[in-house]
Amino acid sequence: MTTFRVPGRGRVLHNRPVSFTFDGMTYQGLEGDTVASALIANGVQLMGRSFKYHRPRGPMAAGSEEPNALIGTRRGKGRFEPNTRATVQEIWNGLETNSQNKYPSLKFDVGAINDRAYMLFSAGFYYKTFMWPRSFWDKYYEPFIRAAAGLGVSPSEPDPDNYASRYLHTDVLIIGAGPAGLASARAAATAGLRVTLVDENSEPGGTLLSEPQAQIDGKPAWDWLSAELDALTDLGVRIMTRTTAIGYYHQNMIALCQKLADHQEKPAEGAPRERMWRVRAKQVILAQGALEKPLVFDGNDRPGVMLAGSAQTYLNRYGVRVGNKAVIVTSHDSAWYAAFDLASAGTQIEAIVDTRPTPNADLIKEAAARGITVLPGHTATGTSGRLRIKSVRVNKVENGKVLTARNISCDSLLICGGWTPTLHLFSHTKGSLKWDDESQTFLPDRITEECQIAGAGRGLWGIASALNDGAVMGAAAATALGKSATAQTVTVTDDRPGTGESHTELPTDLDPGKARAFVDYQNDVTAKDLRLAVREGMRSIEHVKRYTTNGMATDQGKMSNINGLNIAADALGKKQPEVGLTTFRPPYTPTSFGAFAGYHKGEHFEVTRKTPIDSWAEENGAVFEPVSLWRRAWYFPKDGEDMDAAVRRECRETRKSLGMFDASTLGKIEVVGPDAVEFMNRMYTNPWTKLAPGRTRYGLLLGDDGFIRDDGVIGRLSDDRFHITTTTGGAARVLNMMEDYLQTEWPDLKVWLTSTTEQWSTIALNGPNARNLIEPFVEGLDISDAAFPHMSIAECTFAGFPARLFRVSFTGELGFEINVPARHGRALWEKLFDAGQKYDICTYGTETMHVLRAEKGFIIVGQDTDGTVTPYDAGAGWAIGKNKPDFVGMRALNRPDLTAEGRKQLVGLLTEDGTSKLEEGAQIVLDPNQPIPMKMVGHVTSSYHSDAAGRPIALALVEGGHGKTGDTVYIPMPDRTIKATITGTTFYDPEGARLKL
Amino acid sequence: MLLVHCPYCDETLPELEFTYGGEAHIARPENPADKTDDEWRDFLFIRTNVKGPHFERWRHAHGCGRFFNAVRDTVSDRFLTTYKADAPRPDLAVLLADASMKEPSK
Amino acid sequence: MTAHVDLNMARTLAKSSAVSVELLPLVARFSLRAGTSEQAALSKALGLALPTKIGQCARKNKLEVLCLGPDEWSILAPEDQAVKITDACEAIYAKAPHSLTEVSDREIAVQITGVKATDLMTIGCPRDLDLLPVGEARRTIFDGVSAVLWRDGADEYRLDLWRSFAPHVISLLETGCTELAAE
Repeated sequence: MTTFRVPGRGRVLHNRPVSFTFDGMTYQGLEGDTVASALIANGVQLMGRSFKYHRPRGPMAAGSEEPNALIGTRRGKGRFEPNTRATVQEIWNGLETNSQNKYPSLKFDVGAINDRAYMLFSAGFYYKTFMWPRSFWDKYYEPFIRAAAGLGVSPSEPDPDNYASRYLHTDVLIIGAGPAGLASARAAATAGLRVTLVDENSEPGGTLLSEPQAQIDGKPAWDWLSAELDALTDLGVRIMTRTTAIGYYHQNMIALCQKLADHQEKPAEGAPRERMWRVRAKQVILAQGALEKPLVFDGNDRPGVMLAGSAQTYLNRYGVRVGNKAVIVTSHDSAWYAAFDLASAGTQIEAIVDTRPTPNADLIKEAAARGITVLPGHTATGTSGRLRIKSVRVNKVENGKVLTARNISCDSLLICGGWTPTLHLFSHTKGSLKWDDESQTFLPDRITEECQIAGAGRGLWGIASALNDGAVMGAAAATALGKSATAQTVTVTDDRPGTGESHTELPTDLDPGKARAFVDYQNDVTAKDLRLAVREGMRSIEHVKRYTTNGMATDQGKMSNINGLNIAADALGKKQPEVGLTTFRPPYTPTSFGAFAGYHKGEHFEVTRKTPIDSWAEENGAVFEPVSLWRRAWYFPKDGEDMDAAVRRECRETRKSLGMFDASTLGKIEVVGPDAVEFMNRMYTNPWTKLAPGRTRYGLLLGDDGFIRDDGVIGRLSDDRFHITTTTGGAARVLNMMEDYLQTEWPDLKVWLTSTTEQWSTIALNGPNARNLIEPFVEGLDISDAAFPHMSIAECTFAGFPARLFRVSFTGELGFEINVPARHGRALWEKLFDAGQKYDICTYGTETMHVLRAEKGFIIVGQDTDGTVTPYDAGAGWAIGKNKPDFVGMRALNRPDLTAEGRKQLVGLLTEDGTSKLEEGAQIVLDPNQPIPMKMVGHVTSSYHSDAAGRPIALALVEGGHGKTGDTVYIPMPDRTIKATITGTTFYDPEGARLKL
Repeated sequence: MLLVHCPYCDETLPELEFTYGGEAHIARPENPADKTDDEWRDFLFIRTNVKGPHFERWRHAHGCGRFFNAVRDTVSDRFLTTYKADAPRPDLAVLLADASMKEPSK
Repeated sequence: MTAHVDLNMARTLAKSSAVSVELLPLVARFSLRAGTSEQAALSKALGLALPTKIGQCARKNKLEVLCLGPDEWSILAPEDQAVKITDACEAIYAKAPHSLTEVSDREIAVQITGVKATDLMTIGCPRDLDLLPVGEARRTIFDGVSAVLWRDGADEYRLDLWRSFAPHVISLLETGCTELAAE
């Protein structure tokens, strides 16, 4: 063991050594150590380089607020994480860690040249330096900034870990398991409520872990803690450690990130690394305590400079003395206790320097008893030491004058500028804060959620206050939920409540313009930067923040916010509440992307809907494409075919003989009731009254704005029953729209809608041999052209399955669509595929379907229309029931802008050379020689090579297109301009002869 | 994520079960053909865009499927009430008085 | 994109010490829609009183009728009762118009049982499950997918899922099954 480990002290297990590496060196720590505590125990204070100036840095804190000691951790292949706080990462045998922001090594870093060039890198440096000339941006400035900027390096491999998420409902959620939180939990749980208590640390206890000297109700703090945790467990309290409340959202929704694996050498098989909890609490108690502030003076960032309270934590919780010779510089009583504890553990306390002229007399007495030099009414004006502090320069201040300096040598400088209540989560709720002059900090004011704040979070210092206030707040939460509850009072001896003062940067006898007095350690923002920002015209604290980047690093200004505010307010000549605080935003501490993604990665990335025939397609080599949430077979390549070749073959074989297509994704809605036909008349543009049962019709659905929303073939099964089909992507939207009209506009109609999309598996057969194939399968139905003409529907038995058979064509060929109950979809597909072999049946996917329909000029809603296309624009005026009194969209079709000249209309396009295939989305112009920017008159909506037409074909929306048939238009592309002729939209079998087989 | 009270289910449920449906109390005119172009334009496109209490529609899409109405403050994102689609428009003054009584305060 | 799941064959999908996930056999399913004035006639035709509170379920002779909305019920029955149900409703259609639509193939059911069944449900369902009484069911959302969640016992749930969404949900349940066992 090293000289810095105090045998028997702390909550670490002294008989359980753990070895880990830091920058390639192996170190020994103890079970229960963090990387930071173990390194400090080994005498290592230098743990990183700062972001901008690459200054050597050590840990300032012992918890998640740490700005400096950011390390990379590696736990095997792919498991690398940058920017982990060494003060939070627990060690285990074999853990590999590395420092960051250094080259070639932590002790000698060439980037530290930035520190010498300090005067250049002041606030707004980037804004000022890289402004001119503009042409330098891409080649010089951006690469330079990118190389110099950033914290750590990104992982280079996919993350192999699993992440999880859960919902949790609880009556009372308590955030922070320190004394206030523990007491709240006891009060609420005793009242019989579901209580959840969370803490970001590896064990509950909060301050109690750092203050074992306290006696609670006569018991030593740690004995009391252990008994209390047992009691809470017995009461059914859910206690979650290593669990950070990262965000507080509306109506008491709190996100918790629970770390499950990073502290373990061998995490359990199948266990996730982290779990995001989405908690809904009836009452929330924020018991997050307070964070210590640094003092701002030149050189307050050298390795060895640390917050006094954190040094106390290292000693009492981890059994580590932070140094052999320490100086304390403080403006608050709390640091005195750190000095006393360290002195008892064998650290030489060189001096307690207090900025206050007359510190607490009892503390002075205690220091005297211990033989510690006390320097009241002093300031700190500098430090020395390159990789670790060697001395601190202090001066007496009298009547505002900084007197002669003296240097005190030390290897540790413990600073304390007072405490700031942790109100980040409270701020997420837009709860307002109020400046408290006495404690020189913001305290919670107006509460907007069902929330209580307990203990140090509302400015109450000391363990007794926290415990008693926690109990009161726990009882208050219970009372708010209608339970009777009482707050138990405890007595605490050896408690250490205290008071202090708050400062701007400390007074100095040196040139303050040259001081490196850090306010935000992580972003390297100094007091000088803040004053410069104000001098350069920043008035709002939000502007000062952005100009200097104060509080914008990953620690979110946990240490810097109030110091930054004090200095900015001073520079502005205002009081702090007049300047105000910047907004804290979630997450409270940096949170991995994995935790946010949860289960949604890899094959579970998003919902993928599959048809009953999907597995056959996969087994038979289909290439898939996503269509809304579905994945659909795109094409079925045969040996060595690329997409183009496969699609050409599928098109050819379908038109020649027979093609089979999985159309199961088509939306289907069953419309049933005495008012079914009335509903259809009101909903769709077409007239339905005269459509006889057994017949189908192409239906066009508009919004009330007159624009096309959806289309599909609709069959009438009986007087009162229709079978609607919708587009694949439109199914849910269409049903929602119809339900909307039914529920809110026409509740008097006796008609009901049921989604049957998934009830039916739909197989489309197209081609001259379609009837020949299916005829033997159909029972009890004559499907000859005479008995079952184009646009018919019938219920029948098909291959032994109950079926709905449509005669319909989306290809221009003789076509049928067979709907069977979904469980039989694949079985039927296989039967048809086998039987189809004698007709050289080909299976085709969505791409061939698109080509075949485009050859016939059939539109795809959402591809050839874009939400601004009317039926007239699309050339589908024939689908409008003009004699109907009303239908959704009818009135709008007469609006002036929908009848105006020059609307974009759907036309066909043939490229003049007969070989160029246009690009979908390409813009169309009338005159290719006009100056840029050219007037664009439309765009290509669909474009394919057509085997049937023997050339590429395209559909396009063109201004006034219906009146431009035969005109030439131009499609400028990056390398050339393509000439094309406007045509009609039917490129194949315009008479429809092939349907009449 | 908000909690929404469904007036049909009479349960207060996670927002994930609901979809938003635009401004409430805009009835489709009985005889659209009788409406002027300007009236029809207003029906289609003109909305109040309130800063504050907003009458709006929601649907319990992953629940009972019903469309219903709500009053939600667009500043605080807080629901003042929800009510069935055929219920009359509630009195805003009464709602605001109720809400101020329920406000958590210290 | 998740692995293929044969949805026609009832079997155990995942099992751990914590929880077991079973694909249940297919049953006859109908969506029944009707207005208030037709409910009495339909109750008579079906031989059981239609529940009128959303989420409540009426059971008789292996028939389960769940109220999903003010005018919507889900009827579950053994497959051999399907014709009887259709005929009974059709017989009263003229005087009590309604919509009875068969959706037996639209949905599949997964049963979740075991000491951590409730925990498994919380990986996908945002509802407070303490408020779902045994014997009742609700349409809700599970990992972004609309589903009917039945509570058949303190540690026994059923999820009715539309067929195409089932592979996604089943894959999550399998993951959760392993995860809960590792706790």
